[in-house]
Amino acid sequence: MKKYKIADLIVHLESKSERVIRQGKIYEIPPDSRFNDFSPDIIIKPSKEKLEKMFRENPHLTFDECDYIETGSIFYYKLLRYNGFMLHASAIAYEDNAYLFSAPSGTGKSTHTDQWQQYFGTEKAIIINDDKPAIRLIDNRFYVFGTPWSGKSDKNLDIKVPLKGIVFLEQSPENWIQSISVSEAIYLIFNQTLFALTQDQMNVLLSLLDQLLSRMVIFKMGCTISQEAVELAYQTLNQKQQEIQQQEL
Amino acid sequence: MKIKENFILRNVAGSFVVVPTGKATVDFSGMITLNETGVFLWKQLETDQTKDELVSALLKEYDVDETTAQNDIEAFLKILEENNLLIK
Repeated sequence: MKKYKIADLIVHLESKSERVIRQGKIYEIPPDSRFNDFSPDIIIKPSKEKLEKMFRENPHLTFDECDYIETGSIFYYKLLRYNGFMLHASAIAYEDNAYLFSAPSGTGKSTHTDQWQQYFGTEKAIIINDDKPAIRLIDNRFYVFGTPWSGKSDKNLDIKVPLKGIVFLEQSPENWIQSISVSEAIYLIFNQTLFALTQDQMNVLLSLLDQLLSRMVIFKMGCTISQEAVELAYQTLNQKQQEIQQQEL
Repeated sequence: MKIKENFILRNVAGSFVVVPTGKATVDFSGMITLNETGVFLWKQLETDQTKDELVSALLKEYDVDETTAQNDIEAFLKILEENNLLIK
């Protein structure tokens, strides 16, 4: 088993997927690192039977893709034990703040964060994970982490960035943005995270969402493919979250 | 009648939500949002209740007349039934 450090956790991972191995390269623990002696927080060892069954039942998937999906799924379910959860989103960092754009597949998450990179420059605006970032509550703060499971793109980085905001995207002929209620936010998050949780896993997720939604407003945004959409999202999120912080003081 | 097993009722940042876990996720995916009365009735229904018992519990707890209580409970039970959440 190879040893990795992903989302500040020691992960022992056995995967035959070329994509997992390639996208995981930057998370590998170097041979001379002290982390080699640490016991693993998470062990990922997909069962051969399960992979073969998945491959048989999903003719549109390659064996490599089955391995990629299964190892990612094991990681994100186990992540709940460490106060973390996955959101199906494209996560971008700018000014050491992480912005998450979530939506069902095909809506244009990556297209929108690509606009951020064009607007702010690829050196300043960097993709943390283009598909399934990990979000963890550590020392009373939410952080966004890159992981090897970043979808078909290799866009993921081994970085930890404080979470600034979450926006649910939809396509629209014009740009608009609005804050949403707690219950709508929960509904939208549930649609873009793991499902079929056990009672223990669900209790962790609900506790995390309780803390997240108590301190952060979530937004819904209709957007065109434009830099104007970037400005609207950036300005609104910075303004709103600042107002909330001021209220807390 | 009572609520099926494996649902969790929680206050999340001031909103009351009910979500399925484990086996319950097979029949019901999604979530339910409850208001204060909904929370009260849901909690009652975690143990076996008749409709009359629900009505008297609601009357004891809230300042409503019997007709309103009955109508509210009917409406609530109808939603639960439509979503296949009740064991009779």
